[in-house]
Amino acid sequence: MNSVRKTSPPDFQLPPRRKLRGLAVAAGLLTLTALLAGRAGAADELVPLVLKLPAPMFIGTPKDMPASPNLEKPSDKPRPPLLVPKGVSNLAPASTVTTSSTNATAANLRKIVDGSKEPSDAGTVMLRKGTQFLQFDLGAAYDLFAVVIWHSHDSPKVYHDVIVRVADDAEFKTNVRTLFNNDFDDSSHLGAGTDREYFESHEGRLVDAKGARARYVRTYSKGSTDSALNEYTEVEIYGRPAQ
Amino acid sequence: MNRALPLLMLLVIGGALWLRCPELAERPLHNDEAVNAIKFRDLWEKGQYRYDPNEHHGPTLFYATLAWTRLTSAPTFAQMGEARFRMVTVIFGIGLLLLLPLVADGLGRGGTAMAAVLTAVSPALVFYSRYYIHEMLLAFFTLLALGAAWRYHVRPGLKWALLAGAALGLMQATKETFVLTLAAFAGALVCNHLWLRWTRVPTPPWLHTDPASASHSERRRIAGIAVTDIVAGLGMSLVVAVLLFSSFFTNASGPLDSLRTYAPWVNRAAGASPHLHPWNYYFEHLLWFHPRKGPVFSEALIALLALVGGLSGFRRVPLSGANPALLRVLASYTLLLAGMYSGLAYKTPWCLLSFWHSAILLAGVGAVTLWRSAKSIPAKAFLGLGIAAGVGHLAWQAGQLNTNYATNRRNPYIYSQTSASLLELVDQVKAVAQTTAAGDHLLLKVMAPESDYWPLPWYLRQFDQVGYYGNLPADPYAPIMIVAAKLNAELDEQKTHLMVGIFELRPQVFLQLYVAKDVWRDYLAKRPRPSE
Repeated sequence: MNSVRKTSPPDFQLPPRRKLRGLAVAAGLLTLTALLAGRAGAADELVPLVLKLPAPMFIGTPKDMPASPNLEKPSDKPRPPLLVPKGVSNLAPASTVTTSSTNATAANLRKIVDGSKEPSDAGTVMLRKGTQFLQFDLGAAYDLFAVVIWHSHDSPKVYHDVIVRVADDAEFKTNVRTLFNNDFDDSSHLGAGTDREYFESHEGRLVDAKGARARYVRTYSKGSTDSALNEYTEVEIYGRPAQ
Repeated sequence: MNRALPLLMLLVIGGALWLRCPELAERPLHNDEAVNAIKFRDLWEKGQYRYDPNEHHGPTLFYATLAWTRLTSAPTFAQMGEARFRMVTVIFGIGLLLLLPLVADGLGRGGTAMAAVLTAVSPALVFYSRYYIHEMLLAFFTLLALGAAWRYHVRPGLKWALLAGAALGLMQATKETFVLTLAAFAGALVCNHLWLRWTRVPTPPWLHTDPASASHSERRRIAGIAVTDIVAGLGMSLVVAVLLFSSFFTNASGPLDSLRTYAPWVNRAAGASPHLHPWNYYFEHLLWFHPRKGPVFSEALIALLALVGGLSGFRRVPLSGANPALLRVLASYTLLLAGMYSGLAYKTPWCLLSFWHSAILLAGVGAVTLWRSAKSIPAKAFLGLGIAAGVGHLAWQAGQLNTNYATNRRNPYIYSQTSASLLELVDQVKAVAQTTAAGDHLLLKVMAPESDYWPLPWYLRQFDQVGYYGNLPADPYAPIMIVAAKLNAELDEQKTHLMVGIFELRPQVFLQLYVAKDVWRDYLAKRPRPSE
């Protein structure tokens, strides 16, 4: 009969010092596990990270800017040129201009397509408060490549809810397309746009029409940082007969 | 007549309140008003105020606001509105009327009544009564000092010396420019003395001291004032100034700072300031202000009547029944003070109040002088109708400047005024924040060179996680960012944020509003349908 000695395998026979080290490692592992478990528990109770933010600095009376144009020029980057097919022309002067604003006469509206872009009192047309539009009936369908808008640019200002749309009918119910829309919060109820707001300047705002075919063009706005009124100096619409 | 004057004063006070109180919160807070309101916050919430000798003037505005907020059981600072702060200056504006009885025997009954009417309707006085800055308090304490000095002159006594001293201390604790007022007043006294010597006019009987105060006349005097009263008055002035500048003995350096403050202010007055204007700046704004596309705003009627009133003081017996010595002193004081303010390169339009209010006192006398000089009934009727129409026109202008032209550059009394467009930005920020889980704890970052973002700290006071930066920080991104347009930040280039609008802070100073794309998408989905 073979007697079997129930002894631990030699691997597990640790000398006293190694035993202590083993115990320490085990304790360390346990602690780490506990810490990790603790962290996992804490993860369930996320708290906002409170940042130390700089407080406002007190300043004195700021300078009163004189009413001269372009004191704070927002950007000095020149506008890149828009490439258009050869033969396009400005269709706006020959169009019929109407508006949602009840205060403007037909004769007054002609100033918007008379080629004069100076923001003088006489050359600027004021439309009423709120969202107002100008409508251009081109007389026939055209392939459109650019719409350029000059609001009043006598001083730096930003017009809100600038929207440019084209359509096949005067009521804007058929084949309506939006070429530009910076009404981010849809306060003019024509859908929320994603185009940036911009500063008025002598360059006007050039909207790429990308060859959209249409007979009617509308330009909308809803007041500016300067006034609740909607001012226009000039609008140009570049296109060619539909081909 | 005895009953008519108090009744008229009541009517005038009613009219003055009617012009000053409506829609106090409508005009967006000016940079300086917001700074004052935010500085008051520490006093209200922590009981702390520390005088800053470099900017922001003296402590009286803040302690007066503290008294007003305590009297009216104010809510938390976040719930306080603009009207609560502006009501403080309205009260001091009305106080100018309540102090008039102090000088009523000097201006005469009619002169006092007309001065009250013109004080009530002067567009400048109405406009700056609704402006939460120090100027109206300075005008009030100046009149208090003048009134107490006049009462002392009429009937010398310790109480008037003490009141004049207290008013002087309050003037000092209001605004550094009080030294100009003092200098002008001293100069006016000298002018009057020289006039009397030149004309060899004996002292009129009404300038004799009251017999009841004979004991005063026996005391040692300097320039006719008992030394003990001078000491008492100056002592009172010192006590009041030290109390306020030391924040009631909690800021030991405050009283010394009230003297150190003149170093930076002298530099500014000499031209180290963005507020440099030509000598005729105040006169243009007061007498004929007609920018393009706007109506003419003018208080020339007051100037004209003040001229008549001032000149009448150089007659032996003025037609108005006013005291000629007081008129001469007021006329010289007004001219000297207007000259000093016009001579300094540093100018802000509210500084004109100091000399314009004394011009109004003279104008009251001038109106009565003209009235009494008109001999026939048609002449009196013509004059009466003319003055009534002029007063009506002044009141109309005051109304227009506080409503239709409250933020318009065609208003002669606005200066670096915050645009109404800024309120649209604030509304937008609040609307977006309310659709997030964080709400008022949402992280906002405001970035503008030279800390040019005021009054946003006032308008964003409900948010407790707002960082203000003088430039673009290393990590500018936050759910909502307000960035000065001149930084050309273009923080939407990484497509994580949208630039959802450009807003005007002041004329020709713009702020861009950036919102994180997901926050904006949530806002569009959750917000109530915007109204037209």
